[in-house]
Amino acid sequence: MKYMILVYGSQQDYDALGGNPAPGRPVWPPEDFAAMGSFMEKVAKDLTESGELVDTGGLTAPVHARRIQVRDGVPVVTDGPYAETQEVLAGYWIVECGSFDRATQIAARLAQTPGPAGVAETAYADIRPLAESREELDL
Amino acid sequence: MRGTTEVEGLLRELAPQVLGAVVRRYGHFDAAEDATQEALIAAAAQWPADGIPDSPRAWLIRVASRKLTDLLRSDQARSRREYQWQVTPDAGPAPDQDDSLVLLLMCCHPSLTSAAQIALTLRAVGGLTTAQIARAFLVPEDTMTRRITRARQRVKDSGVPFAMPGGDQRAGRLAAVLHVLYLIFTEGYASTRADLAGEAIRLTRMMHRALPNDSEVAGLLALMLLTDARREARTGTGAEPIPMAEQDRSRWNAAYIREGTELVTTALRTGPPGLYQLQAAIAALHDEAATAEDTDWPQIAALYELLVQADPANPVIRLNHAVAVAMTDGPRAGLAMLEDLCCDRRVTADHRFLTARAHLLEMAGQTCAAREAYHAAAGRAPTLPQQRYLHARAGRLTPRNA
Repeated sequence: MKYMILVYGSQQDYDALGGNPAPGRPVWPPEDFAAMGSFMEKVAKDLTESGELVDTGGLTAPVHARRIQVRDGVPVVTDGPYAETQEVLAGYWIVECGSFDRATQIAARLAQTPGPAGVAETAYADIRPLAESREELDL
Repeated sequence: MRGTTEVEGLLRELAPQVLGAVVRRYGHFDAAEDATQEALIAAAAQWPADGIPDSPRAWLIRVASRKLTDLLRSDQARSRREYQWQVTPDAGPAPDQDDSLVLLLMCCHPSLTSAAQIALTLRAVGGLTTAQIARAFLVPEDTMTRRITRARQRVKDSGVPFAMPGGDQRAGRLAAVLHVLYLIFTEGYASTRADLAGEAIRLTRMMHRALPNDSEVAGLLALMLLTDARREARTGTGAEPIPMAEQDRSRWNAAYIREGTELVTTALRTGPPGLYQLQAAIAALHDEAATAEDTDWPQIAALYELLVQADPANPVIRLNHAVAVAMTDGPRAGLAMLEDLCCDRRVTADHRFLTARAHLLEMAGQTCAAREAYHAAAGRAPTLPQQRYLHARAGRLTPRNA
């Protein structure tokens, strides 16, 4: 069974990660950033070894997003569609494992990613079952 | 049109598999249990008329999943509810496991009372309806509904994940399951409600399939089979109990005796004998005797000796030990052992103790004391047929010409 673990962040969170925090946001010193990176790598390595990792990725800053919609039959593009403070998908992990509870256990581990004080308190991750078939979408 | 019994049997078999699949996929043990039960009810209504679908398991999982979606959406209180996730050291992915077994462990969670464990096990793993369980335990359906609902909630709130518990907890949790299955069996046996005893055997068989190398699981299954083998013969036409020595042994279930004996023989070879294996070995010795006189009492007394050592606090075992000693070394030896038990109130107020004492007194030729003891036992016996039987035994001891 496949599950997607999703983590969110706003442009401000990205700025903080880049060492340029908005007022009231914690700063990420380079060593914290490095610690986060190696923690993520370790988790990815463990999940690869256990055969549970399908894919993982981080999304670039929301400012680079491009939105496309159809208006009057014509595709219309909006660049940077998000507000500065809007939380958007920032990264994901697709895991294939035995149960929702196992996927949750993996996410609980990811939730313990190290970072500067104050970051963990506002961070969260969502776990969602990926539909295995068209029928499951119908439930 | 397929038989209703056939459909019911299939549904009971599939119930834990469906619940297991749904909880695995979506979590929500409590709501998933309701959703599964609704799917089973829908199938019981449709299948006898429409036929069994090609893949009944997939059909039930699909319907139960859909019901779960409905239940979750209609129960707003359930969404946005916070609960603590049990953080366990990351043990990696769980090995392939039997869902029925995981469910049994959840239903027998240590945070539940044994009444709740029993009810939840029968419903979530046994696939019985709440009404059936309420009938079996002679309580109103509302009471049983509340008991099951609370138990499910509790299991969910305990945050126990849908997985086999880790090494240090595993043995204790499995023992709790065996105890619950044993209680279901004895409840069925004591009340002569064959449905409960049969259900206990079915569930223990399932557990044995999941853990074929666990000798205590095999021991418990053997104990149940070897005990239940005597079911037909142990009551007379008026529901009065017939003591083993007087039972018509041709009415014993030979297939059960064969299967139980094989199981316990294999189990005893694999490791140190557990409580269920020892009790099964004793039951096998009784069952193997062609007549009551052929019973290997010295061997039975020796096995009880081991049982007493393993579980010294259990008064029923000590009582049976005394009886076996009486049959080996004479009634006086047995009566002396019963004297030692007299300080235990749990025992002396129990009709089984009083009955055994009466039998031994009768064997010893102490007619007056035996008669009194039978009457005392009758006063404590829980059912009318038992009371009638004990008074009749007392009556037989009344001097005819007096």
